[in-house]
Amino acid sequence: MAKSGLNQRDHRRIDTAVAKYCDQRHLFESFAKSLSDYFSTDATLKPFIHFIKYRTKEPDHLRDKLIRKTVDGDEINAENLFDKITDLAGLRIIHLNTDQLREMHPAVLGVLDEYKCVLVEPPTANCWDNEFDAVFKSLEIETKSRASMYTTVHYVVRANQRTPISCEIQVRTLMDEVWGEVSHRVNYPHSSPSESCQDQLKVLARLTTGCTRLVDSIFRTHQEALNRQ
Amino acid sequence: MAKPIRITIYNHKGGVGKTTLAINIAAALSELGKSVLLVDTDPQCNLTSYLLSDDVVDNLLDHSDGPGGQTIWTAVKPVFDRVGDVQFVAPKHIGDLALLPGDIRLSEFEEFLAEAWTDSFRRRLGGLRASTAIRDLVSQISSQRQFDYVFYDAGPNIGPLNRVLVLDSDYFIVPVACDLFSVRALSTLGETLKRWLLDAQTIASLAPDATSCLPAAPRFLGYIPQRFKTYGQTMSQESSQYLRQVKKRVYENISAVLRSIDPGLAPEASVDPVIGQVKDFASLVQISQREGVPLWKCSSTYQDQKDAAHVAFRQIAQHISNAPSASATRRSPRR
Repeated sequence: MAKSGLNQRDHRRIDTAVAKYCDQRHLFESFAKSLSDYFSTDATLKPFIHFIKYRTKEPDHLRDKLIRKTVDGDEINAENLFDKITDLAGLRIIHLNTDQLREMHPAVLGVLDEYKCVLVEPPTANCWDNEFDAVFKSLEIETKSRASMYTTVHYVVRANQRTPISCEIQVRTLMDEVWGEVSHRVNYPHSSPSESCQDQLKVLARLTTGCTRLVDSIFRTHQEALNRQ
Repeated sequence: MAKPIRITIYNHKGGVGKTTLAINIAAALSELGKSVLLVDTDPQCNLTSYLLSDDVVDNLLDHSDGPGGQTIWTAVKPVFDRVGDVQFVAPKHIGDLALLPGDIRLSEFEEFLAEAWTDSFRRRLGGLRASTAIRDLVSQISSQRQFDYVFYDAGPNIGPLNRVLVLDSDYFIVPVACDLFSVRALSTLGETLKRWLLDAQTIASLAPDATSCLPAAPRFLGYIPQRFKTYGQTMSQESSQYLRQVKKRVYENISAVLRSIDPGLAPEASVDPVIGQVKDFASLVQISQREGVPLWKCSSTYQDQKDAAHVAFRQIAQHISNAPSASATRRSPRR
């Protein structure tokens, strides 16, 4: 790790933080499992959910992340770990098209309220497309544009006010999942050294977002035809 | 009102004399001026049958399901039926003791508690409420009348009912018989307690704000060797051999295991947590069970035996009354 520029003190700090996570990982796992259970049995959400999955972060991946953060000047220790890293537990809901969020977003908030989960920050949509940006804003979801062209709605929730056990809920379309999976394999845990790959990922984002937009259009047309019958 | 100390007499091994122990400890504590509530939480209702006559017990069980029922089942039924919280049931007063009568239908509630535990892991309020139902009931009863001690007489198993009782307790006492099976049973007991405690900690960590959870900090008050054979004043060689094994196993399998979770939960190795000794009182037990009285008050003519029983239980009661109070035992969570 000499090339990372980290000293022994940094490594000790990171080791302690990772050990704390390992000690409490079962709580993150249990919380994510509970959330998965709530969403997959909710009557409103059920018809929209293509699939749902959850995971807790691998300790080695957390270690890599803390090393990267240190290099970037962000020193995370055992005390602030759970506040600073909010995706130790992650749950992903995959649906088909953006229009579905008009019903899904209130339903997600409803589930979180029913089970007394505490929103750590307002829901945020990562989004680069102007049209979709307008859809998210109409649902009162804050939007954030990422240079990577990543598109997903995030909700960060805690189990209660007492313990800092949180989970990042990601809601994205099946096409955004395709983009996410490809990007993940190329850039995780370390960014691809190929500039062409990074460029191609941006073209892929245009295609996947375009597909999602097309699916919106197909379903709208289909519904109009049904309504005319 | 000061909160009573809640104690479970627990060993999943059957036939170690839990019920006899509960009655006699309660009677000895009341002789020391302490008020005791006995809660019969064994669906076999041995404690209830010990203290009340057969026709009274039959009458209680016949009417426990309807309005005006007076058993523990009557109290938890609204929770079981998912229509509300526990219903107050006044304990029966038998001499100086108070008894919340048991009920065979508590076994149905036990099945319900198994599901409630899974729901508690999923942070579901219904499950969390069911898990604290008996705790809430005892709190209601002891808010009406001051009790110094509440004893749960647990059935001989590792089940969801005993789990909520132990996790609600400030202390637990383990009766052990001096035989091979009892010695062997100690290892599963410790592992079970550990799993229960860790599960309860997970549940409490994730439970929604403003929900009440089981305190999950039962301290090991100690063990009571039971029914060993004596010759005159000395213990038989075989019993004393087992007793040495019991002492060793109690530390390795119970104290050390609990201390690995929280050193405050059990005494350290240098302390032998023996609370007292109850030798084999043979016919005294049967006579006192039939008469519904403590060993030393039964009609047996063996006065020496009765005196010995009285001394033994007075010592046990003294030991228990020296344990720190409930509020002193409650520590802040360690996480």
